[in-house]
Amino acid sequence: MSTDCQKTTAKTIPSTRRVIINNADHMPHDYSTTPGGTLFSTTPGGTRIIYDRKFLLECRSSPLTRTPPRGLPPIPGVTSPPSKGPNEKTVNGEVENNNSISAPETSNAGEDAQFEMDI
Amino acid sequence: MNNKFDALKDDDSGDHEQDQGSPKDSEKEKPEEDDKEQNIIKKKKYKKTTDPDGPGEHPLQYNYTFWYSRRTPGRPASTQSYEQNIKQIGSFASVEQFWRFYSHMIRPGDLTGHSDFHLFKEGIKPMWEDDANKMGGKWIIRLRKGLASRCWENLILAMLGEQFMVGEEICGAVVSVRFQEDIISIWNKTASDQATTARIRDTLRRVLNLPPNTIMEYKTHTDSIKAWEDFHGLVNASGGR
Repeated sequence: MSTDCQKTTAKTIPSTRRVIINNADHMPHDYSTTPGGTLFSTTPGGTRIIYDRKFLLECRSSPLTRTPPRGLPPIPGVTSPPSKGPNEKTVNGEVENNNSISAPETSNAGEDAQFEMDI
Repeated sequence: MNNKFDALKDDDSGDHEQDQGSPKDSEKEKPEEDDKEQNIIKKKKYKKTTDPDGPGEHPLQYNYTFWYSRRTPGRPASTQSYEQNIKQIGSFASVEQFWRFYSHMIRPGDLTGHSDFHLFKEGIKPMWEDDANKMGGKWIIRLRKGLASRCWENLILAMLGEQFMVGEEICGAVVSVRFQEDIISIWNKTASDQATTARIRDTLRRVLNLPPNTIMEYKTHTDSIKAWEDFHGLVNASGGR
């Protein structure tokens, strides 16, 4: 039995946390969240951001997706950088890639088949 | 592997009929999450090159980077040239930013030659040698021509939307356009974790709507490296690597 005991003080488990808000902008947009972040998550490590396919597709029609991303490298036949304004209005909001894609390299086709072993 | 799959219709990425009423209601969906809250809780800190999601945008669980690679015709592959041939297209942190990239990229079904798109978590290179991939592997699915665009889209939407439910294990996804077939694959960190690989396989079946009798194959990256080395050893007359 050890003779050197240390006195510890008991503390109650914190049930509240005070966050001072001075600006309405700092209030969260949902009523279900607290300012400064939800302290006591219900799942270990916090909750994960999950979206289903339907929701993601719906986001596509948002005006936030219209402009091309900054710094999109122009790769002919692959990417469509901003200069093509009128192309942006297609049924799915997807750019109809009017870059004339050069004729497929048919001379290559046979070669590809031989090298197909690696994935 | 005898689930009922609808016969695939023509390539049409805007098709909503695929929603099979799978049990998503019980999952925690947070479409309107406050951005600040997510930044505090768990965002990966690789934000150097990616715009933080703006107001009104929906944050993703992770940031991702699009890559593109194409093998130059006539030039034999080597690991060095692979690294040089692969090019970053850009990174994003929100659903809206993702669509901005995706809408300005050609669909894989329209790619020519020996080309690939890769979509990997920011900070993980789409190469076997990256630390995240060294002990990992991938599920690969070979598709006949005509299916790649739709399958790729479903695959990446599932990945971005965290449908796989395997913690941190997912590294990224690849679509490969080849001569007579296309291949989609999803890479994870730990090839030996069978619970994870089984769950990934089940999610793939659920979200991809594959034709019946589609075969899914799991390959560890070390096996792929060995196969590559053996093959190129044969090609090299001296028998060396």
